[in-house]
Amino acid sequence: MKLDRRRFLGSSVSVAATVGMTAEWAWPKHSVSYRRPRSAVAVLNADEYSEKIEALLLDGLRLFRLKVLGRSVLLKPNLVEDLPVPVNTSATLVGAAARSFLRLGAARVVIGEGPGHQRDTELVVQAAGLKPHLSERQIEFVDLNRDELRKVKLKANYSGLGELWLPRSVLDADFIVSMPKVKTHHWAGVTLSLKNMFGIVPGMKYGWPKNLLHWSGIHESILDICATVPIHFVIADGITAMEGNGPLQGSARQLGKIVLADDPVAADATCARLMGFNPLRVRHLSEGCHFLGNLREDRIRMLAEGLGAPTRPFSVLPEFRYLFAAKS
Amino acid sequence: MSTSPTVHLADAENRDIFDLLESCEKLLTAREVARILSISEKNRLQLRVPQSDTALQDRGERSVPGSGPCQLVKATCLARPQPAGRRAKNSRAAHVVKFARITMAPGLWSDRISSLAETLRSRQMKSGGWAYFDSVQESLEATCLAELALAPERHANSSEAILFLLKSQLSDGGWPAFLGDSEGSWTTALALCTLNSTGDFTAAREKAFRWLYAERGREGHWFWRWKFKTSDRNVRFDPDKYGWPWVTGSASWVIPTAFSIIAIEQFTVCNRSEESEKRIHLGVEMLLDRECVDGGWNLGNSLVYGVPLRPHVEATAIALLALQDEQRIEMVQKSLSWLRQNAASVDSVSSLAWCILTLFVYQESVEPLKNRLATIMGDGREVRNNATLATALLALKCGEMIHPFVVLR
Repeated sequence: MKLDRRRFLGSSVSVAATVGMTAEWAWPKHSVSYRRPRSAVAVLNADEYSEKIEALLLDGLRLFRLKVLGRSVLLKPNLVEDLPVPVNTSATLVGAAARSFLRLGAARVVIGEGPGHQRDTELVVQAAGLKPHLSERQIEFVDLNRDELRKVKLKANYSGLGELWLPRSVLDADFIVSMPKVKTHHWAGVTLSLKNMFGIVPGMKYGWPKNLLHWSGIHESILDICATVPIHFVIADGITAMEGNGPLQGSARQLGKIVLADDPVAADATCARLMGFNPLRVRHLSEGCHFLGNLREDRIRMLAEGLGAPTRPFSVLPEFRYLFAAKS
Repeated sequence: MSTSPTVHLADAENRDIFDLLESCEKLLTAREVARILSISEKNRLQLRVPQSDTALQDRGERSVPGSGPCQLVKATCLARPQPAGRRAKNSRAAHVVKFARITMAPGLWSDRISSLAETLRSRQMKSGGWAYFDSVQESLEATCLAELALAPERHANSSEAILFLLKSQLSDGGWPAFLGDSEGSWTTALALCTLNSTGDFTAAREKAFRWLYAERGREGHWFWRWKFKTSDRNVRFDPDKYGWPWVTGSASWVIPTAFSIIAIEQFTVCNRSEESEKRIHLGVEMLLDRECVDGGWNLGNSLVYGVPLRPHVEATAIALLALQDEQRIEMVQKSLSWLRQNAASVDSVSSLAWCILTLFVYQESVEPLKNRLATIMGDGREVRNNATLATALLALKCGEMIHPFVVLR
């Protein structure tokens, strides 16, 4: 058979596609799966940051029957900068969560964060209003940017990083709670519980911001980090959220929700829906739902009030209008 | 209070005479001045005390009337013309140190220094290094800052911290961010500054300089420069002007660039080559390019998606330290003015300490800031981060010792 140029090119494309599919099957990009048949989510209504949050949160947490008795709990809030707009997870909510886990029997609660946009962690902790909560009941804060580090082989290979140095306080924690602020993000589309885990990557090694993760692909890095350090629970601060040019320069958006979930993908998919987005359009969610958790609504059991009536979608930068595509 | 005598500090070998202690309110011994300046007698600097003035015949350390350390209000170091036949690398002996107006200015801060130093010293690890917090992993940043803060009180060149630094230098000349890592990082600039302060260890410093010279932000590569110029325009900056990254493989950022400029300027003060001048110039250009719209610096960008970013106190202070040797153009003045205004309301130890270190170099009044820093810190035990504690100690000692990030001219 004569092999002309067209046939050669056609054959090459077929071979490449076959090799690609075989490679994906033979060498999957992740070596773990945390997906369960069904995940649980509770959407709590809260109009403001008040003392009432603690009782509301404790009741919400009890719905999940969490096994935290005698365990060390790491709360990972999203503390970014000292800005006049709501960029940080509310200290009221973080304090309430810390006290709630102690009441549920946790042996120890550590609040850990490694701000990516501000080297002076103390400044961020002060600005976020977290200090009064730290003096209470000996709840400890750990600067994850400067914690003792261990080199860890990543359990997924989307970014090509292979391994990362990660903080001991994170690796040693029995139960990790991601506490994101619900925000749009001008590189990733949204920043929720999965993206929040960028904060465990230490600045002392990777700098401020953690630029190497950006160069390696934001979505890819999120997948690799969350495959390596599984999130056990999510408490998302959507009372006052952020829309537009988030995560730092957007506008405050009153959403009035706290989202609790035992699965980070389910939590983020629910938050995305509350924001008026299609979660499948968020790359780290559409890929993460294959092994990090459940995205589909029929796999998510709503324990509390549910999504409620649809609200006005969050505004986004023009580059992210694709997030509004047809519902998943 | 004593009279206001004039004391001359001279290099015995060259008869350079400087004005010292004009209008001084406290008298210092040769040893004390030497300690303040971190200059040992080996470097042949002597304090000549007019014997006729009995008030100046004091000999013991801190035994002059009045207690508390004095503040070196103004200190400038000038490079002396190279004496023929002498090697340029003997940097300490090759500098003229000119300073004036040492005034007695004990404040709240002066009582804190010894206890803070003791706290910091007690946290030194057996290896000679310091961790950021209570851990077994030495941090190069914490070690360098702690050594700089404590060095004037001991024989720096043989200190355990210096030995630790020399041991932890990587074979390529860089230093890792922490012990156990095998990759060079931005802390190489800090380590070079620390070794520069000893005036010794030329081979290690030369290797560090070579590492820094070769290191560049990722936009230093033509491909990324082209990409940033053509397709990736959401962040506004000139990719032709690049500096130094935190870690190899990422872009240039303000703080590593600033420390690298200072380290190279210090190291090459007496033998600045065309290559080092070019590299410094490029770094300075990068800093000026990334300045925020209303002055000051964020981490490295000034505009993202057309929206100006707010400056950070620490990044602004450190960037201004790197620009101390540049002309006071409007951009520098604007940032200095921003820092001056914002320093008054900073309550975090690290940011306030960097404000003091920078404003002192720009000859601004730092006394109220030092008192506020001392108030915030208390006895220092609450400051668990050793890098922060060391920076605060350096800030409180401004005027008591040669500023570790000053660039000799």
